[in-house]
Amino acid sequence: MGWLPWSSESTNTASDGGRIAPDRTSRQRCYEGRDMFFTCLDRNDILDAIKDDKEARRKCGKEIAEFETACSRAWVKYFKEKRVMEYNRDKTIERIKKEDAAQVQELKAQGWNSR
Amino acid sequence: MASTMRSMSRILTRTSRSALSPIEHTAAKTTGLFSANLRAATNVNSRSSSSSSNNNAGLLLRRSFSTSPACLRARTMGQLKARNSTGPFSWKAALLFVLTGGGMIIYFRVEKERLERKRIAEMSKGVGKPKVGGPFTLKDLDGKEFTAEDLKGRYSFVYFGFTHCPDICPDELDKMAEIIDKVKEATKGENVFLPVFITCDPARDTPEVLRAYLKEFHPDIIGLTGTYDEVKHVCKQYRVYFSTPRDIKPGEDYLVDHSIYFYLMDPDNDFVECIGRQDTPESATRTIMEHINDWKREGKPLKKD
Repeated sequence: MGWLPWSSESTNTASDGGRIAPDRTSRQRCYEGRDMFFTCLDRNDILDAIKDDKEARRKCGKEIAEFETACSRAWVKYFKEKRVMEYNRDKTIERIKKEDAAQVQELKAQGWNSR
Repeated sequence: MASTMRSMSRILTRTSRSALSPIEHTAAKTTGLFSANLRAATNVNSRSSSSSSNNNAGLLLRRSFSTSPACLRARTMGQLKARNSTGPFSWKAALLFVLTGGGMIIYFRVEKERLERKRIAEMSKGVGKPKVGGPFTLKDLDGKEFTAEDLKGRYSFVYFGFTHCPDICPDELDKMAEIIDKVKEATKGENVFLPVFITCDPARDTPEVLRAYLKEFHPDIIGLTGTYDEVKHVCKQYRVYFSTPRDIKPGEDYLVDHSIYFYLMDPDNDFVECIGRQDTPESATRTIMEHINDWKREGKPLKKD
């Protein structure tokens, strides 16, 4: 995955040996690149851009290139993983809500009353 | 039967000639026991008259034992009517009642909240050694030594993070900046609040990097860094989990997992409360100001310069 050149800023070294972190503008640029890439993934029904890397690159080549230029490699990986994690989280919440609603319906049918 | 009835009623009118007719009539209907009934009727009459005279005696008796002064008694019908219409209640009494009641409710509610906060603060202090926070030695951005002692005397607001953090830390630091401004406004510029950022990633976050990073959020944030072991020690003190790799190759890119809480510490540098992701700048400021005001109300020392 590391064949694309990554953002030059993230490797910048400070004069005292530290590594300069992305500032507000480059963070913003990275978020924009991420959002564009994720919109493209949504359009093509791809969830996991790590697992379906080839597919994602084929269909959203331009977007992924921009995303990987704007963000450092660690961030790219982080955001891709976060996307999957958040999807699963929302799915789980939805499922629990549905189960709860079904349970409430069932209890109400049995004549149970809250309070 | 009808003939006997008639004869009897004739006897009745002739003998009694009194006005006791209804009783006598019913008595006549029951027949036979006429004289006995008549006697009973006269008995009833005499009893009622005697009881009424008894009543009169009782009234007189009660009045003679009365202790209430005569002047309380209404003089005119107007006074009597006024007293009867309102009873012992007047608008003054009602107002007093409402004000006292309202005052008590407000007082109890405020006091309850204060005690609850105090309980939380006391609980966090634990017995003996504080559970969160403790002595540490780090370096500030000018390379000067900064220890836990430097936090004392003010409320401090400690956050752990790293500059290469993708999205959560920048969000939280923006929130921190808002909280700093809001607390400053609420304390009317008193310098009683010390926001501190401690890096979990000392290898990359040198003072220069940290300074440039924090300046973007708020100039008041004190950045602290140190050696890997110093940072590890302070993280342990604050029960912060972090996953910075110890030995990293130059140029290596990595992220640091870490706990994302703000720690509010009191002027004794004892842990007071956590502010988390769920808090808005408003709710966080409210919590902080409640603690600062409680501290002031109890008259404990607070640095202001």
